[in-house]
Amino acid sequence: MKIVKIIVLVLLVAFVGVQFIPTVRNQSESTPKTDFMLVNTVPKNINEKLQVSCYDCHSNNTAYPWYNKVQPVAWLLENHINNGKEELNFNEWADYSDRRKKSKLKSIISQIRDDEMPLTSYTLIHKDAKFSENEKQELMDWLSGLRDSL
Amino acid sequence: MRKLKLSMGILAIAFATLTVVSCKDAKKENNNEDGHHSEMSTDEDHSKMNHDNSDGHHDEEATHDNSDGHHDEEATHDNSDGHHDGDSAEMSSEARDLDVSSQKNPATTPIIDAYLQIKNALVTDNKGNAAKGGTALLAAFSKFDMTTLTGESHKEYMEIAESAIEHAEHIVKSPIDHQREHFETLSTDISDLITLLGTDKTLYLDYCPMKKVNWLSETKDIKNPFYGSEMLTCGNVKKQIN
Repeated sequence: MKIVKIIVLVLLVAFVGVQFIPTVRNQSESTPKTDFMLVNTVPKNINEKLQVSCYDCHSNNTAYPWYNKVQPVAWLLENHINNGKEELNFNEWADYSDRRKKSKLKSIISQIRDDEMPLTSYTLIHKDAKFSENEKQELMDWLSGLRDSL
Repeated sequence: MRKLKLSMGILAIAFATLTVVSCKDAKKENNNEDGHHSEMSTDEDHSKMNHDNSDGHHDEEATHDNSDGHHDEEATHDNSDGHHDGDSAEMSSEARDLDVSSQKNPATTPIIDAYLQIKNALVTDNKGNAAKGGTALLAAFSKFDMTTLTGESHKEYMEIAESAIEHAEHIVKSPIDHQREHFETLSTDISDLITLLGTDKTLYLDYCPMKKVNWLSETKDIKNPFYGSEMLTCGNVKKQIN
């Protein structure tokens, strides 16, 4: 019984302790001129869908959930966001060469088609980020059109 | 007294946990930085090569004027690598039909060989070998000597390399269906590279009617890398190179 008490206490102290480790927050005031929405003519519904479902991890500005400051959740988010931005950053769209834009669009489309994006761990909390079959089709059609126009 | 000991112990353990955790974090950050470095390695290599180049100029008086201009041009390109190339990119990244420049260029051989290694691994459904081919491709690009490239062709090479390196990195770390997806676009990149720079190898440009994409092969027989054993002989030869 005593052992249990000690373990619980240790965990508690550790939990409180890790809260003091800082994380870098992914937030910026302004949208750069190279943003996907600014350099392309994006229909309103597509724009909204991409912003809600993708921009949290694929842009320089995350709408953080309330629990984002609680460790170890903050690390997990930071990690996801860093990886996400490395793969694709909608804010830097115009900086990609056309070759890479095409390749990115191809990957975006196949990720949406195969339900690999948005991540399940993300849609679990962000219910509105999930795509319906209709929305998936709409997005894929529009993105394919953009890809062919490049 | 016992209580004090106990709480001291707890504090010590908590401290240890904290240290371990923060070390782990720091390590991860380092790794991330490393990753960035490897991505940038082509740029770095290139700037090194420029230095070599300029050394050469000082030795050879005769070619001095000529190559100086050349050097300047390259230097400005260095700055713009990977950035702000929106306007003139349109032409260069068009997926053209492979209309090979008549150059018999052996410099592209290591890149093509690594590409073919990936291709042959995918034909035999071998994820591990495909990943090895990806690593070989990364090495081939980092060793590629681009000092002879100037102006537009240098810019186009940089775009192709940037894209191909990204695909190679994914091929190294992905499951096989993902490897195949990246191999599709990689095939376009490599065939554009051959169009740009030429090769002295005999290659076949094959077409997969199901995927509607091209791939390159060193053998005339069709061995389709996109489906492996499922659809091995599906496709046709579009063109022979050399």
